[in-house]
Amino acid sequence: MWTYEKRLQFPVHITRTCPRTASLIISQFGGPDGEMAASMRYLSQRYSMPCKEVGGLLTDIGTEELAHLEMVCAIIYQLTKNLTPEQAKTAGFDAYYIDHTAALWPTAAAGVPFNACEFQSKGDAVTDLTEDLAAEQKARTTYDNLLRVIDDPDVTAPLRFLRQREVVHFQRFGEALEKIKDNLDAKNFYYYNPEFDKQFVKA
Amino acid sequence: MADRNALLKQIGETSFTLDELRLYLDTHPLDENAMAAYSEHAARRRQLLQEYADRFEPLTCGCICPETNGSSETCTKYPGQKHWTWADGPIPWDTEANVCAKTAGAAKGGN
Repeated sequence: MWTYEKRLQFPVHITRTCPRTASLIISQFGGPDGEMAASMRYLSQRYSMPCKEVGGLLTDIGTEELAHLEMVCAIIYQLTKNLTPEQAKTAGFDAYYIDHTAALWPTAAAGVPFNACEFQSKGDAVTDLTEDLAAEQKARTTYDNLLRVIDDPDVTAPLRFLRQREVVHFQRFGEALEKIKDNLDAKNFYYYNPEFDKQFVKA
Repeated sequence: MADRNALLKQIGETSFTLDELRLYLDTHPLDENAMAAYSEHAARRRQLLQEYADRFEPLTCGCICPETNGSSETCTKYPGQKHWTWADGPIPWDTEANVCAKTAGAAKGGN
């Protein structure tokens, strides 16, 4: 069950229209390492997670990613809401404009539509948490790439906040992986799948 | 309006502190200092959300109260009239709702 709170997790206040910037940032909405993929990945993985504290962490981080999804969409919305017909022709945004005008639609910056393959829900706690660690780093790299090419301080402030959250989530997932390993055979963590061969997992 | 944005900024900061502490406590469930900080900020957040709802509009569904929510011209298009208050106030993803970004110096992302 979720409820909505009528505010962004971190304020987004952008006054300069820039469809080119929006066409890059949209990757963090619908790209392979974007916030939608992150949220759905964690919220999908949690059901079969054998340790309930780790399932709880996946719920809380998956929920925060929804707030990040909203921030990324707010950035894109504010960068394109006062678009002139001339600005709609901006290279990189023109093709998107033809299909979606200035509405939000999940796609990677390179034009690949959002794909559920990004969820990466494998059904093995060690595998999935290792995936999540990598996912947070991939998202951080994407934010680093964006910050390297974007100058507007109104845009970089929320991007820096989002980048920093990836680092925090990476830390928490690392602790969660250790928690899972504590319940496994220390001589061979990979001998059983803790999500499937439950009879071998310590209580 | 300055009051509204200042209050919104405080709500954002207190809520973020809780977001950060919640994840930390998920993996450190016996840390008493963190638990005490959580309780303190949670009480503060409840108080700020209530004050904001009384003076302006509800930010959460738990704060919706047509009898007591703020209903001045800056909050609603039905000033002084009993009405459903959930749609009052600025749209969260619009610049108007995020003026506190300008005054905030904005909270950092945590560690």
